[in-house]
Amino acid sequence: MAAIQVNHLSKSYGGFQAVNDISFEVEAGTVFALLGRNGAGKTTTMELLTGFQKPDAGSVRVLGLDPFKDRSRVRGNVGIMVQEAGFFPDLTAGQTVGIWRDFTPAARPASEALELAGLTAKAKTKVRQLSGGEKRRLDLALALLGEPDVLFLDEPTTGMDPEARRNIWKVVRDLAAGGTTVLLTTHYLEEAQQLATNLAIMDRGEIVLGGDMAETLAARVGQVSFELPSVSHAGELPLPATVRGRLAVVKAADPDLAAQTLLGWASERGLRLRGLEVRTASLEDLFLELARNDEMSQTNAPARSDHGTRSDRPARSGGAGA
Amino acid sequence: MSLTATYKLSARLFWRDKGMLPASVITPLGLAIGMPALMRDVQADGVTAATQMFVGTLALILSGTAFLNITVALTMRRDQLLLKRLRTTRLTDRQILLGEVANTVTQTVALMIVSAVAVHLLADVPLPRNPVLFAVFAVAGSAVLATLGVAWTAAIPRGELAAPMTLPFFFLAGLASGAMGWIMDLLPSWLHPLLATLPTSAVVDAVRASYGPGTLGSDLTAAAVPALVLAVWAGVALLSIRRWFRWESRRS
Repeated sequence: MAAIQVNHLSKSYGGFQAVNDISFEVEAGTVFALLGRNGAGKTTTMELLTGFQKPDAGSVRVLGLDPFKDRSRVRGNVGIMVQEAGFFPDLTAGQTVGIWRDFTPAARPASEALELAGLTAKAKTKVRQLSGGEKRRLDLALALLGEPDVLFLDEPTTGMDPEARRNIWKVVRDLAAGGTTVLLTTHYLEEAQQLATNLAIMDRGEIVLGGDMAETLAARVGQVSFELPSVSHAGELPLPATVRGRLAVVKAADPDLAAQTLLGWASERGLRLRGLEVRTASLEDLFLELARNDEMSQTNAPARSDHGTRSDRPARSGGAGA
Repeated sequence: MSLTATYKLSARLFWRDKGMLPASVITPLGLAIGMPALMRDVQADGVTAATQMFVGTLALILSGTAFLNITVALTMRRDQLLLKRLRTTRLTDRQILLGEVANTVTQTVALMIVSAVAVHLLADVPLPRNPVLFAVFAVAGSAVLATLGVAWTAAIPRGELAAPMTLPFFFLAGLASGAMGWIMDLLPSWLHPLLATLPTSAVVDAVRASYGPGTLGSDLTAAAVPALVLAVWAGVALLSIRRWFRWESRRS
């Protein structure tokens, strides 16, 4: 069953089309990543899904309800970590959670919410003295108070150190394992790859690519790179390679197999492949590839409007099947 | 439950906001107690003058503690995206604003009562002959001024402009109700009926009746026009909130 359904959703501000006819679904109990560059429309989409903004066209359903019209009812089962929202600076983290418990029926104990967000040690610290990452964690503690069925996380780990980020990942994974549906936006592609089972990549208000994370990445090529031995040249290699300086790069659907082939070839000749690196397809590669294609399509069609260039993109889909 | 929660939060923040306390509590309370006490000593008919002055200074409490305070607090919370934060919870928009208004009414009425008792003890100002009339207009006036403050936030572009854009009403209210002494007599006569239609003037008129001689019938007559004035202002405030109130800063 889909916990979140988005159908032909559009929103503009003045003349700017922030979200343009997007559709996708998020299955209950899964983690869905909404990705894109700055200004791609992620936050506006999040604001529409959380009922802060009214769509110009299309519809949103969260747990079967319209989040704008039925905001209060939807909020009872939803936790929201917004990208930008203030705190009362003179209250401590513990007091803030305590006050929020008053707004939340059947709230978790304050100590449990602080523990989940890794903020127990900061319970008595005033919010104004918390670091940016700690404020994000307080934001998460508030979002988790009502034990929500659906969790919206807008840039959840921005400003956190690597350890804190991994702790938050674990919390999100555990919540998803317990049946919570999570929709997150992030700039950290590794984060999306680690957490999400499904994704949608947005650009200029549209979804340019979407679907199952594993399948999407499996359709991309990985690469093997190494320093080309000084006695060899690219033509001798058993697989096609591009060489820049002395760095040889072999693109392959199965980079592990390609690495074995190359190592076998080197071994037969008594050569060493220094700096050997094997990389499976990553979300970062995919992201960069989309950005390159976007630049190319704009360069090739300079006289066309923004919307005209969009149709040249690869793997474009109007919706991301969840 | 949720309305109680927003009320509690608003009350907690009211007394913690050290930057606002001089404008929202200390100045109105100081003037409402200090000016009548001064009048008691410098005027020949000291008690009468002190009573006149005290009733007039209630307009300063209404415009400072209710109108100015809620305008500044809500504008700052809007700019700091604290209102947005509150809207991520299960609270309805109505509960959030009603909690703020209810707290503002409580603090304003409390200051009016404290000042009434203080001037009774310090300046021999009698207690109201009709305390019910006093109480009804203290509560209704505070509620209308607080609601007008909520509505006024829509006209204020940024938090730092909230106080300068609201303070003129503080002085105007004081002037119109006689809290600034006899300056009112120096103003052109055509201004007087206009100033009498201010919500603070309506409350002061009704409260003045509660202090003066009269009967239940004369009190009801005296309260009719002020009640109508307050009802009109309440309607203006509610319609404005419905039409123009903003929960977040303008996107520019």
